[in-house]
Amino acid sequence: MMTDSTTAQGHDAHADFSELALTALDDVYRFARSLTRDEADAEDVVQETYLRAFRSWHTFQVGTDVRRWLFTIARNVFLRSRERGRREVTLDDDGSEAVDAAQAAEAWVMRGLGPIIDRADLGPAINRALEGIPSTYRDAVVLVDVEDQSYEGAAEVLGIPVGTVRSRLFRGRKLLQERLAVYAQDAGFTTPAGTSGGSE
Amino acid sequence: MKESMSQDTHDPHDVVDCRSAMDRLFEMLDGELTPERERQVRAHIVGCPGCFAHADFEERFLKAVRAARLSGASASLRERVLSSLRAQGWTG
Repeated sequence: MMTDSTTAQGHDAHADFSELALTALDDVYRFARSLTRDEADAEDVVQETYLRAFRSWHTFQVGTDVRRWLFTIARNVFLRSRERGRREVTLDDDGSEAVDAAQAAEAWVMRGLGPIIDRADLGPAINRALEGIPSTYRDAVVLVDVEDQSYEGAAEVLGIPVGTVRSRLFRGRKLLQERLAVYAQDAGFTTPAGTSGGSE
Repeated sequence: MKESMSQDTHDPHDVVDCRSAMDRLFEMLDGELTPERERQVRAHIVGCPGCFAHADFEERFLKAVRAARLSGASASLRERVLSSLRAQGWTG
């Protein structure tokens, strides 16, 4: 635990924690929400993340990416909670088959989704679709696309190689697009042929 | 802020065709390519109607995903976190 609030560098550690770590609370919550897909569970993960972060704040190097550091803690907290729940985490790192499948669906997705992708009211559908894809891929998409992490940053948070981030990101984005294209069709925005409102 | 340009090992004299441009598309849009490689891929895309349409779609898609980001922590969660930190001695 952080018992002395002044670091060797003369900074007030508690003030640094407030200024750096607590300002990332919204980002940590969003990441936890994507990990858990449940608001109450996400809040538990956030609280535990901040407690752990506070206790080990002396190990954080000021000047490095505090969000990346917090995301890593949050993911560890989440995985630990899943372990306690005796639920297994299954990861599929083989991107090759996934890439082939995604490429096959690409033309259909572009035709179906292209006409509506700029709609301002698509946000809720995107978030629902994101929650529906496997966490293996969703975590990479959320870190890079929503939380603006680099491939290297996402790799560090997820504890996987950069190449795996790249393949999961590709597959995750394609799965998200496929789900959105189905939504667009079901909602009547597009026809099965991919036209929008009868005119393309 | 993304900051890495990872794993972009390539021969600078490589010719960028449709396949290699599309293979690198997400990395380009994510800012993960070296400036030189990005210039080469962009040059191909600008001159190729098919790749341009594909790149335009993916760019709009990523923009939509970013714009759809969920709202942040609620006030009650914020207070819950602060309360638990105070209980641990946080004085910030």
